[in-house]
Amino acid sequence: MTDWLGMLAAPRTPRRELKGRVVARALARRRRWGGPLAAAAVITLILGGGAWWAYRTIGRLTAERDGLVTRVQALEDTVSTFIHGPATRLIQIPVSTGGRVGSVTIFADSARHRWLVRCDGLAPNARDQAYQLWFITDRGMATAALMPMDEDQPMVMGLEMPRADQRVMGAAMSIEPRAGSASPSGPMVFHLLL
Amino acid sequence: MTSPKRLSQEQQRSLERRLKAGDERALGELFDLVAPWILGLAFRILRDEDEAEEVVGDVFVQVWRHIDQHDGGRGPIIPWILSIARNRSLDALRRRRRWWRKSAHVEQAHAAETGDIAPAAPHEAAVPGWPLHREVHAALATLAEEQRRVVLLSYFEGLSHREIARRLHQPLGTVKTRLRMAHQKLTEGLRHLKDWVE
Repeated sequence: MTDWLGMLAAPRTPRRELKGRVVARALARRRRWGGPLAAAAVITLILGGGAWWAYRTIGRLTAERDGLVTRVQALEDTVSTFIHGPATRLIQIPVSTGGRVGSVTIFADSARHRWLVRCDGLAPNARDQAYQLWFITDRGMATAALMPMDEDQPMVMGLEMPRADQRVMGAAMSIEPRAGSASPSGPMVFHLLL
Repeated sequence: MTSPKRLSQEQQRSLERRLKAGDERALGELFDLVAPWILGLAFRILRDEDEAEEVVGDVFVQVWRHIDQHDGGRGPIIPWILSIARNRSLDALRRRRRWWRKSAHVEQAHAAETGDIAPAAPHEAAVPGWPLHREVHAALATLAEEQRRVVLLSYFEGLSHREIARRLHQPLGTVKTRLRMAHQKLTEGLRHLKDWVE
């Protein structure tokens, strides 16, 4: 309350030019700091944003790399099992698609009832078509895999063989509609009895 | 006689809000409102027009930069600004005393500072806040002479209790008692100024 004592002193009319000088000085002080502060804030924001983006990107890439490493290891294990397994049989089938010569290689592991299939040099499918691989069993044709191929690159896949009550007698590959067929209906790429 | 200009509580709050929002025109309006009082207070303490104007500049820089520090809930903005002006003036006075301790100028100023304080001339009535000036003078007039003296020495010269006692050749306890009683009376007498309302 005693701060009001400042009003005891008689007021003095400021000189005309004092207002401009005082206001300019006060504003200059704030503006002088305003520029560098704003610049510092922008730089901090950019650096912070960059650091956050880098952190997120590194995290995403690390997770992706870990996933790929796991996948490669699994594939290595699978391939190793197929190649070195005592019950593995290697079948290589030359094929011709779209005027190109390629091959389908099957590592058939009869002990684990699994196949590892690698396709090389197959021509890419038309938009509405896909390669379909079939098991030839004693009960007829059973679908093994549907392989839409849009790019010219090798394809590797592991397949479970049909149930134990079906005896696999061979393999076949045909060109089917993109959604696949219940039984072969399109042009046959190969048909092989083992 | 010119009718006194007043400032309503709402106008004062609006001015404070605009200052906090960085409205530069509000700073000019604040100058028109309080600069005469700041200049008067600084001149009363410093007895030097140039130094008093320098204090006015310092006060407005501080108010503009630190307006966020004023808590509107704790009271009007004007006493807050006056307290800044007083502190700045006393700082300047102390600096001057340090550097010019042996100067005759100090003796001259000292003689002026110990004098009593008279109300402003009626032609100043057009200055905003004029009614407050009269209210504060009226409150001061209710104090006994010895109480008024210690209040003025404390407020306008920034003297410590011990320095006042030495200046007035009074025991320290007496000075403390007079100041305490004076502050009680002033607080009571100025209570109605809590909000500067029309």
